[in-house]
Amino acid sequence: MRLHALLASAAFLVAGTVAIFADDAYHIDYHHALLGFPKHDATFFQQPYAGSKASLIYTLSDKLVVGAVNPKDGSLVWRQTLSPSPNITDGFLRAGEEQDTVLSAVGGEITAWSASDGRFAWRTAFPDATVKDLEILELEDAKSERDTKDAVILLSDGTHGVKRLDGRTGAVKWTYPDNSGDSPFQISISATSIYYISLHSTMLGGLKIKVTSLNPLTGQKLDQYTLNSDGEAVPGSVLFAGANSASPILAWTDKSHKVLKINIIGSKSTSTFNVPGAGSEEVQKIVLHAPHRINSLSHFLVHYQTANAHSAEVFHADLKTHAISKAYSLPELAGKGAFTTSTTDANVYFTRITSNEVIVVSSVSHGILGRWPVKGVASSNELYPIHGVSEVVVRSGSAHAVRSALLLSDGQWALIRNGEFVWTRPELLAGAVTAVWAELPEEETLAQELAIEGHENIIAAYIHRVRRHIRDLEHFPAWLQSLPVRILANFAGKSSSTSATEIQQDTFGFHKLVIVATDNGHLVGLNVGNAGRVVWNIDLAQLAPGIKFDNPKLSISRGYFEVRQKGLETPLFINSTTGSALTAEKVKAESDQLPKAQTLISYDLVDGELSGFLGDQEASSPIWKFVPPSGERIVGVSARPARDPVASIGKVLGDRRVLYKYLNPNLVLVTTVLDARRRASIYLLDSASGNLLYAAVHNNIDISRTIPSALSENWLSYSLTLDSSVENSSRGYQLVVAELFESSIPNDRGPLGAETNSSSIQPSAASDDAAKPYVISQTYHIPEEISHMTVTQTRQGITSRELLVTLPESNSIVGIPRHVIDPRRPVGRDPTAAEASEGLTKYSPVIQFDPKWYLNHKMELFGIKSIITSPALLESTSLVFAYGLDIFGTRVAPSFAFDMLGKGFNKLQMLATVAALGVGVLFVAPLVRRKQINSLWQIP
Amino acid sequence: MTALPPPQWVLGLNNTSSSKPKSSSIPDPPGFTATLSTKQRSQSKNAPQTAVRKPPTTEETDTLKLKKAWEIAIAPAKQLPMNAIGMYMTGSTLQIFSIFMVFTLFKTPLTAIATLGRTFAPYTTPGTATRLLPAKFVFVLMNLLMLGLGLWKVNQMGLLPTTRSDWLAWETDRTWAGRAVPREWL
Repeated sequence: MRLHALLASAAFLVAGTVAIFADDAYHIDYHHALLGFPKHDATFFQQPYAGSKASLIYTLSDKLVVGAVNPKDGSLVWRQTLSPSPNITDGFLRAGEEQDTVLSAVGGEITAWSASDGRFAWRTAFPDATVKDLEILELEDAKSERDTKDAVILLSDGTHGVKRLDGRTGAVKWTYPDNSGDSPFQISISATSIYYISLHSTMLGGLKIKVTSLNPLTGQKLDQYTLNSDGEAVPGSVLFAGANSASPILAWTDKSHKVLKINIIGSKSTSTFNVPGAGSEEVQKIVLHAPHRINSLSHFLVHYQTANAHSAEVFHADLKTHAISKAYSLPELAGKGAFTTSTTDANVYFTRITSNEVIVVSSVSHGILGRWPVKGVASSNELYPIHGVSEVVVRSGSAHAVRSALLLSDGQWALIRNGEFVWTRPELLAGAVTAVWAELPEEETLAQELAIEGHENIIAAYIHRVRRHIRDLEHFPAWLQSLPVRILANFAGKSSSTSATEIQQDTFGFHKLVIVATDNGHLVGLNVGNAGRVVWNIDLAQLAPGIKFDNPKLSISRGYFEVRQKGLETPLFINSTTGSALTAEKVKAESDQLPKAQTLISYDLVDGELSGFLGDQEASSPIWKFVPPSGERIVGVSARPARDPVASIGKVLGDRRVLYKYLNPNLVLVTTVLDARRRASIYLLDSASGNLLYAAVHNNIDISRTIPSALSENWLSYSLTLDSSVENSSRGYQLVVAELFESSIPNDRGPLGAETNSSSIQPSAASDDAAKPYVISQTYHIPEEISHMTVTQTRQGITSRELLVTLPESNSIVGIPRHVIDPRRPVGRDPTAAEASEGLTKYSPVIQFDPKWYLNHKMELFGIKSIITSPALLESTSLVFAYGLDIFGTRVAPSFAFDMLGKGFNKLQMLATVAALGVGVLFVAPLVRRKQINSLWQIP
Repeated sequence: MTALPPPQWVLGLNNTSSSKPKSSSIPDPPGFTATLSTKQRSQSKNAPQTAVRKPPTTEETDTLKLKKAWEIAIAPAKQLPMNAIGMYMTGSTLQIFSIFMVFTLFKTPLTAIATLGRTFAPYTTPGTATRLLPAKFVFVLMNLLMLGLGLWKVNQMGLLPTTRSDWLAWETDRTWAGRAVPREWL
């Protein structure tokens, strides 16, 4: 065996043991288990089971995730993703009183979940219909068991009708079909009957509201009438149809929000109220808040929102006379606010939350029961609540405590208890569409200074460096002061704590910013060195009004970044550390990412063809075009990362010869599918010239599944799903890895020889295959589908790489070590001694994901769309950030953290050993000295 | 104050060699054995004690010295098989033991060659100077063989930069004339 072989095998052995250490878990990684924005009518406080003392917050989010959140600390108790067809965004979540299940309805599926742990209870599906409404039948009747309450659903799209489902099994008990052609709107349940409300379109474009009352036991029609709402109700103007209340009400307005009409369902009379003409300001939004409990008072609140202020009126409904009367009104307050309804027994309380205070009033009178100023992070006027739910504790006529879970205007979901923020959840991150890494400013200035030094001559560079060091001396006293604290913190095993707003550089380069763009047009800066906490959060719509930032492009420069979006003429410049907008003049127009000496070619997917353009002008005609063969459709394009350092340009074989890697920075991997023949093809192109370097065709592929691909260094990988419908020798999922070399012969640099520069257009005199790289590839079966893959990045590229794959089935991210998927693994035979010394093992067609490769250990990562990686200052470590529904970040060391002391290293013990040795020397020194003198005086 | 001459007994104590005048015909007293050098003693064991030893002639000493010089010249070759077996047995792995062995394999021949003159100095007389040259040559050759063994061992251990991979770090990647990037990176 030889030296390098020894090192290689050592590296192999080390790489084989890489896993997350138990003491690193939850320290190096962080996870925001998110739900998405909670829907207003699908969020409530509820006891998880009858007789439970504490309640949980249940919600269905706009991402169609059902979840339960602990109101004490905001931690997620359970969640389930509902996966309907992609165009469905609406859903319902209901829970009956004293029930141990919650019911969700999305698309045509009604699912019951155990309320305390989120386990699946039952599911009923109506494939050709959409559930338009879901209510729990609260009344007790003879048929239903004592502890399970039945559900009533309203179906539209396809078959219209009302169905009652058994609360225990989900079986349909009765169906009331509606063949009238009216569009179903809602159902409402009173103590005696079920009201089915549908909208009947009139010739003039107005709507007529049709109410059908049904017998809850049999589903038979009891009565039907049409409300005289013609001319006023237009699509979208029906505000509310009170659900499950003792006095179900129906409210609608006219187009201009001038008149409010309210009807008690069951009576034909409507009461008309004028919307308070609050000055000259137009009312933009009217929201009706009513209790949802069947035994509560029939009081409700109407919330009027103008551009700058909001007010409310409380109405009482008299069930006997079917009359609605205005009880009192709440004064107008500036800014935006939210109202929530809570009930205790029959009493109804309204909580008014503004940017500054929380006020609790009873529905009976306008006397304020409790008032708390809002303290904490969100007391700025910019921030206001959008909607929320509250729980009120009232003792002896005054509100003792109130807690409200609010969706705030900055996209956070927060709980305010008595005016104080208890927790916030950054739910806006659930809509992350793109993310980029940003360097910290200190690091960037240093890099800039070093670049200046690199370009100057030696003497000038030396003077510059000395000056820089003298300048740095001003930080020296502060550094000296912080030294004892840091050393103590080091020994205590704690990293120096940083507040959420403070971002500082660390020695290892683990502190970086990730800028995340969300689908609602927000940009969020996260500090990955501090458990991914939100540093800043800006709304792009405020910087460029009128433009919808649904998929912005972010490009990082020194200290700032550019935001581009279709429809935006000039890019926005934003400071990456503070999130403040910069003017274009302030920003020096420099792009240092790409060396200027080279000819710049940009390529883009235009009309299904990949075209390369000279420079970055879009108007110029393409210099090359890649048109996939007939009928094939490009589904993916992946390029080598912009910064992809490679430490060694060759691969050392076991006999110490070298296989030279084909290192072309312009590689681009195009994946195409041919729908008709279930065929997927891979094309590797030189994107500077458009030359085809390598192609592979795979037949019998399930082309409806994604084909993720990654390209790094001199290797590429992609994953395929085999079609299960045809006669295949194998089924399942495949991972293909291919590696490119300059020549198949060791010690040979291919047709280019030892030339130091190369052009993509005519690389060498050799033609055809001789000019192409030598490619070896291997295919492995993998146990799960991969939805996205990327490769770790380190500073110098010395550390071996790891392929990070997202597994949507098991909600996890796996880092596959590079040596496991080395295409040079010998097939059908054991490796020779030389191959074994390279770390190659015998090819096995199946790769089982080692549990040690899972980066997320106990966490469940839902809906990960993409993973981005960034090098740390330490060569061994790569930072990983995954986004999608959840936010997850960690750092990986594919070749072990060879340049950092582990947590297990006992610094105290080391110091104690040194001290003990020092003391020992002090004691032994006189003894030794005496012995030496004695030996001199003795006759030998 | 002038230094007094040392007393006679001090002189006698220091000057033991001249205790026995060479020209004296007076025999030693019975029971007295003159102090002999080790060489003389060994000779005296082999040869029967003669009352009067005939001093060897210059030719005889030269022949003896040459013989001795050849012995020294051949000596490294005797260690060679042992070293070779040792080197072979230790394998090519890097261990502290084999590193020490290799170190001595390099150190011994090199120091031996460096101290060539001193090694052969006792045998160099005007008569043997030219006749010693082959012996010296063989001595150097043997040491070079030893050195060769060390080199072989170092090569076995993969420490000699003889292959392409050893110079890989000095080879550079090609620079590409064009750089193509996806449009969205710009």
